[in-house]
Amino acid sequence: MSLSIAGMGWITPLGRGVDQVWDRLIRGDEAIPQTVAGGEGAKTYHSFLVPNDALQNLPPHPRLRRVSAISRFAVAAGLDAIAQAKSESFKVDTEKLALVFAVSNGGVVYTKRFYHNIVEAGAQSASPLLFPETVFNAPASHLAAILGVNGATYTVVGDGAVGILGIQMAAELLETGAARHCLVVGAEEADWVLCDAYHKWRLTRSSPPIEPFSDSARGTILSEGAGAVLLGADGRVKIDRVNSGGNFSHQRDATKVVQRILHDLRDPNACIVASANGTFIDDAEREAIQNEASECIVYSPKAALGEGVGASALWQIIVAARALERKHLPPMLHAGNNSLLRFPADGDKLGPTAIVLSCGMNQQATGLRLLA
Amino acid sequence: MGSFNALNKTSPPTRVAVVAAGIVSPLGFGLRETLQSLQKATDCVTPVSRFDVSNCRCKTAAQIPDDRLFGKRQKNRKTARLHRASHMMIAAMAELTERDPKFVPDITIIGTTSGGMSFGENYYRAVYQHENLRRAPEWLANYPPQKPVLDAQHEFGISAPCFVIANACASGTNAIGRAFEGIRSGKYERVLTGGYDALSELVFVGFDSLQAATPEKCRPFDRDRTGMVLGEGAAVLALENFESARKRGAEILGEVMGYGISTDNHHLTQPDPSGSGPRRAMEQALESGGCSPDQVDYINAHGTATAFNDAAEGKAISEVFGSVPVSSTKSMIGHSLGAAGAIEAVICLLALQSQFLPPNINFRQPDSGLALNIVANESREAKIDVALSNSFGFGGTNASVLISKLAA
Repeated sequence: MSLSIAGMGWITPLGRGVDQVWDRLIRGDEAIPQTVAGGEGAKTYHSFLVPNDALQNLPPHPRLRRVSAISRFAVAAGLDAIAQAKSESFKVDTEKLALVFAVSNGGVVYTKRFYHNIVEAGAQSASPLLFPETVFNAPASHLAAILGVNGATYTVVGDGAVGILGIQMAAELLETGAARHCLVVGAEEADWVLCDAYHKWRLTRSSPPIEPFSDSARGTILSEGAGAVLLGADGRVKIDRVNSGGNFSHQRDATKVVQRILHDLRDPNACIVASANGTFIDDAEREAIQNEASECIVYSPKAALGEGVGASALWQIIVAARALERKHLPPMLHAGNNSLLRFPADGDKLGPTAIVLSCGMNQQATGLRLLA
Repeated sequence: MGSFNALNKTSPPTRVAVVAAGIVSPLGFGLRETLQSLQKATDCVTPVSRFDVSNCRCKTAAQIPDDRLFGKRQKNRKTARLHRASHMMIAAMAELTERDPKFVPDITIIGTTSGGMSFGENYYRAVYQHENLRRAPEWLANYPPQKPVLDAQHEFGISAPCFVIANACASGTNAIGRAFEGIRSGKYERVLTGGYDALSELVFVGFDSLQAATPEKCRPFDRDRTGMVLGEGAAVLALENFESARKRGAEILGEVMGYGISTDNHHLTQPDPSGSGPRRAMEQALESGGCSPDQVDYINAHGTATAFNDAAEGKAISEVFGSVPVSSTKSMIGHSLGAAGAIEAVICLLALQSQFLPPNINFRQPDSGLALNIVANESREAKIDVALSNSFGFGGTNASVLISKLAA
């Protein structure tokens, strides 16, 4: 069976809609950082947030009344992917539609608010309305209810690599006949507590830019949003290989895992949409690419979109699919001059394949290959 | 690494053997202790000791004692940093690898709901109360749900790609179901699967705030049931292509025959009262296993003892299966959320191997609205060839897995 992308949807700090965000990436736009403040006296951070107007036109469904941003992002991207597929005359039967939701940090805004009440005022003040929204699969449940999916719905959690694990799971659902189409959605929401946590984890920097593949890993900037791809037998771009990757116990071991993935996926005519985000990931990917695919053009969208963690791999897949359709990549922003990698340049013509590498910040790495 | 389109379609479907298992739960450490506690109908629910519950309605849970869980491991500097969920996974994996040291999975699929949640709580309390954040990096690095799985893999030299399913309380059964499907389709030869969850304050208070947790005894399917108690634990199962397992002489504990999944869009936290979601999952598991309802000898129910769950599940069970023996072992060990499906699958295996029905304790009065054959209060001997295990969760996720004894 062939696995193809029948529809795509994304909601990012650069806006919503495949054409709109793609055009901005091509223009070299990058998201505008916004200050994310904690409590009084707490350190402030910068994050790339989804603009308010990007969430207009969501359906007036009762499930969306009290949900947190992550659920709205997931619903917006998921519905857009299905709408795009339908606009291109793909018939999507919800009776035979499965849903895979990929996430890393989850509904952190409501989780923080729920636990804050407990810490501040005791268990008796805990909100029964907030608690269900803290569960990892709440966004998938809302999206399933809105779409009317009553078959297989899975939520997979992991680090930034989780989106491709979601694609792998979808591929298996389709291959075994459990569904005719599978909607894979990756989403994340940003919050001060996440910015603080990743900062204390020494993975973020205080303010932009993100400098992928620069000489020293100065850290990344968290962002939020969602990406969605509708997978089925037919579509304009095919996913012809998925590598579920592997795990690394120490950051220094990431290179070996990424290189193994790239070795499996390599194609001298492919471009690579990497996950480099200004952290240790950049070194791992650079070394792997130099060893396995030094001739390939390399692009990372993270300088423009930020590190969307659970959403990131889906964003990369959409970038890669769009690049294959349009035959060019957006300009690489803030990249190191000495990285010895081949970045997109005017006049480059892309071949028919693209590799998406996804190395997460907590021990997981995956990849896949797209074919136009 | 094979690609998805390299699936080896086989006909008839590949049989899926369980070649090893490991379990840590309030019933005990390992299959032997678990079996003994089940047969003795042990009530493992005790007052919560890990955090303050003075402002909660419910003040009890089924907990794994720290001294047994950590043992000597806590003295090791590296393992001392790990979350207790990692220790649970490592303990369960130790039993599995001891039982089948040659089992090397192609892939790992584990269910959980809350990962290392208590480390997230430590971090947030420290931030909010301006306390020392020296341990923050270690809390944060060990908080993500995949970490206990990767820790357990690392401990035993396993490097398989790792999928973590978080389908709320159905996670463990969904993980086993995906593992089963992966082997049955010919995609994988061996899959490590299971589930884990450790008790945490946030989740405990959450269920308490919903008034889903009871201040009394947990009485699944009883007329006077008042809600659930929480539990914790980890269970892992080694699934393998049946022929491959037989060729290498692996001990076969049982067979996973079928799996069903459905989504109930009625409400985020409440099942459709018609029981249609559970019913679809159970019927699909039967269909997938090529099994008729009258071939099922025992059902390990989701049975949380909440009014809504037990009513919907009980209705679905009686409509599909009639008077098959049913018990909810959550009455003994509480609801261990993402671990529940895996622990209960292991309990089914033990029931099949030792030919007994695990009990539904604290049962006093049948619910006149439910026509169920409850295995009340004591375990009893029975001839069991096929068992069904149910798990249902927030978000309307329903999953059932069908397990059989190896035919003589």
